Amino acid sequence: MRENPGAAAPPPLPLMPAPHLGVRLSTKRMTWMVSLGLFPAAAWGVFLFGLPAMGVLAVSIGTAALAELAVTLPSRRFTLADGSAFLTGGIVGLLMPAGVPLYVPAAASAFAILVIKQSFGGLGRNWMNPAMGGIVFALLSWPAPLSRWMTPRGGALQDAVLTPLDALRAALAGPGAKEGSPLAILSSAGYSFSGMDTSVVGWVNSHLLAPLGTSLQPGSFDVLVGHVAGGIGSISAPLLALGAWYLISRGVIRWHLPVFYVGSFLVLAAIFGGLGSGRGWLAGGPVFHLLSGNLVLGAFYAAPDPVTSPLTNKGKCMFGIGLGVLTFLLRYYGSLGDGVAASIVLGNCAAPLLDRWAARRGTVESAS
Amino acid sequence: MTTARLNPPAVLFLGLCPAIAVSVRVNDALWMSAGVILVLVLSNLGMRLLSRENGPGESSNTPGWAGGNAGLLQALVITSLLTACFEAALLVRVPLASASLGIYAPLIAVNCLVLSHGGPGPARGIGASVTSALGRGIGFAAALVLIALVREVLGSGTVTLFPMGGFAGTIEIRPLVDQPVRALGFAGGGLLCLGYLAGAARAIAARTEARRTRGETSP
Repeated sequence: MRENPGAAAPPPLPLMPAPHLGVRLSTKRMTWMVSLGLFPAAAWGVFLFGLPAMGVLAVSIGTAALAELAVTLPSRRFTLADGSAFLTGGIVGLLMPAGVPLYVPAAASAFAILVIKQSFGGLGRNWMNPAMGGIVFALLSWPAPLSRWMTPRGGALQDAVLTPLDALRAALAGPGAKEGSPLAILSSAGYSFSGMDTSVVGWVNSHLLAPLGTSLQPGSFDVLVGHVAGGIGSISAPLLALGAWYLISRGVIRWHLPVFYVGSFLVLAAIFGGLGSGRGWLAGGPVFHLLSGNLVLGAFYAAPDPVTSPLTNKGKCMFGIGLGVLTFLLRYYGSLGDGVAASIVLGNCAAPLLDRWAARRGTVESAS
Repeated sequence: MTTARLNPPAVLFLGLCPAIAVSVRVNDALWMSAGVILVLVLSNLGMRLLSRENGPGESSNTPGWAGGNAGLLQALVITSLLTACFEAALLVRVPLASASLGIYAPLIAVNCLVLSHGGPGPARGIGASVTSALGRGIGFAAALVLIALVREVLGSGTVTLFPMGGFAGTIEIRPLVDQPVRALGFAGGGLLCLGYLAGAARAIAARTEARRTRGETSP
C-alpha cells in the first residue's frame, strides 16, 4: 500500500463498542423517534380520558426520569438526554388505565429503571425490556387497580367498566351464549358501545354492506378506532400503526419482528383460539384480538427494542414467532393481563440464544 | 471472612429452595434460622467428639471428617439425624411453625452440610469448632431474616412474629397492608432480594479485599 502525500487527513474514527453494525441512526435519535411514533396514540388517549390520563403519563415519565437521574447522580454521567428513560416511562404510562392510583405507574416506572435497567448496567446492558418488566411487576403486585377502567365517554374509574377483551373473557367464562364472533358475544352479553358507533355501523351496514349481503357487528367502529375502555395509549391500533409505519419507513425498527409476531399470533388465534372456550376450530376472532389489548403497541414499540431483541434477521423472525406463540397461550389460557407484556419479558430471556443460534448457522446479515 | 464466603443462599447460591420458601414471613425465617444454628452447632460438636483426633497438639495423617468419604458420611448421618430431631420437636411443640415450614424443614440438613464444610481443622479444638459453627449459623440467619423482613414488609405490609400475651403476633404497616407490592412475595421477588443481597455481599467483600491488598503493598 502506498502513501498518498496529497490526501487530506482521514476523519477521526469514531470508537464504539461492538457490534459494529452500519446503522446511521444514533441511539439517542432512535429513542426520541420511537417516542414521536407513540405520540399520536398518546394524544388520542389524553383526548379521550382527559386529565386523569395526563396525570398517569406525567407520573410515569416523571418517576422514570427521576430514577434515572438519581442513579446517574453519583457518577455524574447523566443519561437523561438519550430519551430512553422518557420512552420507558411513557410506555409504562400508556399501558395503564387512566385514573389508576398514581403509586402504580410510579412504582412500575421506578422498578423498570432502577431494577431492570440500571441494576444491570444501564441502557444497552439490560436483558429485559424495562417498560414491559415494569408492567409485569405492576400486574403481579396490584392486579385490582389495573383492572379498573374508565369509559372513554367521560365518567369515573369504575369496577363495572371492562375493556372489550376483559368483557369477552368474562362472557366466555360465564354461562351465556357463546356463538358467533367476539363482537356478537359482546353484544349478547350487553356490553355497551358508544352512540357514534351505532350510527357509523348503521350507516355502513345500510349504505355499503347491504348490497353485498353482509353486515358489521355493533362495536366494530369503536374497537377499530379505539373508542373503548383500555390502556391510555394502547387502545387505538390505527394510530399506533401510523407511528409504526413512520418508524419502519425511517429505518428505526425493521419489519421482521413485528410482522412475524403479529402474524404468528393471528394464525394461532384464528385456528386454535376458539378451542379453549369450547367453540371449536377456527373461531378465535383474531381481528378482534389484534385490535384490543396491547398487541400492536407491544409488537411495534416494545418487542423490537434493539437491546433486548436478537440482532440478526433470522433471529428476529424466530423471536417474533416465539412471542406470537407465547402471547397466544398467555392471552387465551393465562391470567396476567392480556399476555403481551409477560410474553415479551419471557421472550427477552431467549433473545441471546436466538442470536447465537442464527450466527452458528452462518446467516448473520448486516443490520443496515 | 470464611463465614461470609460460605453463606449458602447469599454467596454460594445453594439451598435456594428453602431460603426462598421460608423468607415470605419473618417468623418462618426465624424458625428456619433457629433450626440451622442449633443443628449446625450440635453437629459440629458431635463430629468433633466422634473424630479420633481430639485435642490440640495431636498431629495426625488421617484425614478429618471433611476430608475422606467416611468423614462426609459421618457428617451426613449426624446432620440428618439432628435435623430429624429438630423437625420432630417442632412438630410436637410448635405445630403451626412445623406446618408452615413443611417440606423445607428437612432441607435444614442441606444448609448445615454446606455451612459446616471447611471449618477449622481438628487441631483447633472443640471450642473453636463450636464458635465457628455458631458464627456461620448466625450469618445464615442474618441473611435469611433480612430477606424475609424486606419481602414481608413490602410484599404483604406486615411483620409476623410470635404471639405473646396480648400481642397477636402480626404487626401491620398501615399504608402498605392495603395495597402491598405482591410481586415481592412471589418466588421471583425472593430471588430479586437475594440477588441484591448477594451483590451487596460481593461489593463489601471486594472492598475489604482491596483494602487488605492496599495495606499489604503500601508500607
